[in-house]
Amino acid sequence: MSIVVLEHVSKEYRLGDHMVRALDDVTLSFESGVFLAIAGPSGSGKSTLLNVIGCIDMPSSGRVVIAGHDISGQTPDQLASLRARTIGFVFQTFNLFPVLTAEENVEYPLLQMEELDKQDRRERVKEMLELVQLGKFAKHRPSQLSGGQRQRVAIARALVTRPELVLADEPTANLDHKTGEGILALMRDINRRYKTTFIFSTHDKKVIDAADRLVGIEDGTVRILGVRKEGQWAITNVARRAASTTDTEAAALKR
Amino acid sequence: MLASRNVFRQRRRTSVSLIAIIGGVAAMLLASGFFEWNYDTMREGAIRARIGHVQITRDGFAEGGTADPLRYLMAETSEDRKLIEAFPQVDTLAPRLSFTGLISIGDSTTSFAGEGVDPEREKKASGALTILSGQDLSGIDANEITVGQGLADNLKLQVGQTVVLLANTGSGGINAIEVKVVGIFATITKAYDDFALRIPLKTSQRLLRVTGVHTWLVLLERTGQTDNFLAKLRPLLQTPGLSIVPWYETAAADFYNKTVSLFSKQVLVVKLMIAFIIVLSISNTMMTNVRERFGEIGTLMALGDTRAKVLRRFLAEGAVLGFAGGVLGSILGVGAARLISWVGIPMPPPPGMANSFVAGIMVTPGLVFEAIFLSVTTAVLAGLYPAWKASRLNIVDALRHAR
Repeated sequence: MSIVVLEHVSKEYRLGDHMVRALDDVTLSFESGVFLAIAGPSGSGKSTLLNVIGCIDMPSSGRVVIAGHDISGQTPDQLASLRARTIGFVFQTFNLFPVLTAEENVEYPLLQMEELDKQDRRERVKEMLELVQLGKFAKHRPSQLSGGQRQRVAIARALVTRPELVLADEPTANLDHKTGEGILALMRDINRRYKTTFIFSTHDKKVIDAADRLVGIEDGTVRILGVRKEGQWAITNVARRAASTTDTEAAALKR
Repeated sequence: MLASRNVFRQRRRTSVSLIAIIGGVAAMLLASGFFEWNYDTMREGAIRARIGHVQITRDGFAEGGTADPLRYLMAETSEDRKLIEAFPQVDTLAPRLSFTGLISIGDSTTSFAGEGVDPEREKKASGALTILSGQDLSGIDANEITVGQGLADNLKLQVGQTVVLLANTGSGGINAIEVKVVGIFATITKAYDDFALRIPLKTSQRLLRVTGVHTWLVLLERTGQTDNFLAKLRPLLQTPGLSIVPWYETAAADFYNKTVSLFSKQVLVVKLMIAFIIVLSISNTMMTNVRERFGEIGTLMALGDTRAKVLRRFLAEGAVLGFAGGVLGSILGVGAARLISWVGIPMPPPPGMANSFVAGIMVTPGLVFEAIFLSVTTAVLAGLYPAWKASRLNIVDALRHAR
């Protein structure tokens, strides 16, 4: 089953006097359980694509279906509820709540799930902090943690609701190489063990190497689709195919 | 919980807002406490000098008593009186006979409003009546009077002089007696002092040739007990045709009631001004607070918080700030009120009253509650627009502010 389906999705917004077309007729679908990298230079539209998938941005046109929910026409509150229950977020800048301890940060998304009582929440938070190997740091505030530790807390917070989909916007960009690799390995491990779908944006080659699916995006359109099987990338160059079509047509015109 | 942690995260900014609220709350408490002191002094003065907490009379005395006092006589003592005196909260019951007549000394004659009283019992019931010179009445049957300051000035009376009182008797005739002026008194109501004289009850009954009284004046331990006492007493009284009038319904309390309602309006204006100043001085800080936390707000909403929840969160922060400011401001206000009352505020004689006085500031629990309530609502109000702004943020734009 496809957990993410995008059909002819475009996104335009106004920047000063200009209309910027951040996404241009994007059609994609991902299977559940993938570990997918959206790669592209800055300004390519990869963040917008991630935001649309995360239901924090609405497309100007096209259809978006996330975990079986068509998001067009949903109210902000319905979208909030969808995000709370099916999507986890990991941010480039960690975005922990500075006044809350590590465990309170992890517990936060659970507070809106009324079906969980205090005991359930405590157990889940403990389990998650153990998973990201921060059990000893439960009572620490974010300011007392290193960057890598903060990102681990953020991952625990993203996973605690047992979402079907975790979105990570350049999760390693603010970390040094070694720490970044640790974070990637952790996410990869969770992806294998729990079949949680991970989608992250990046322009880091090392991050791309960790993925098993690749979407290359440039100027708002998808250029590359990659699938890795047994360590080998099978790349479909969408742009070239389009270009070759044009070439064929050009050849046809010459004839 | 989260709200209070967020409020105290920005120490310096929060303390600037807090100081504004604390100052406002303290100022408000001092202003309303000053008026409260005045109300209280006026009320207790009137009650303890003259009107008591509850007056028991024959029905219709309040309306017709001045024109024809002798029609409304009631027994001086009865079962009912014993019943009232048995109440634990009753301090004393003072019988009074009210009448009018003429007072003469030498060639001068003027009218007076007299009150026949039991001097023993009046010691408690007239605590707020000041003897300016001479002494109080000595016994229930003595041939003497005390005279209000204005009336004494009018007739140029001195303590020790003998005057003649002239009044209509119960049987329709006229009677006169000679009495000695033993003292000159003042109450806080000048209009009363200009015409009043007090005379021992038995002496007044002899003058009017009657046996009864007009009023049983009941004085309670505390003014706050009045309504409770009334509710308990009403079903118990046996004599038909008695009316039980609490102090605030008497004609004499009218001035007090009107003053309170007039000044309460003025205090309200002061309160509104202070609230407005609080709103002005903290709303800017609250906007800055929201603006600095755009990234955090974006994160909250990405994690699934609804707009309403974000709105509530920021309103709660305003409430925490207002509550903390309200409590601290009340502590400051109460402290300042104590200090100022200890020093005293010299005041000129108010309209309708005889003497200048030294005022204080009386901060009641009600005023403190009101001040805290006001500071909480004010702070929430000041945070309303920033909170609304926060809840309407575009998530993607807000997240861009995260550092």
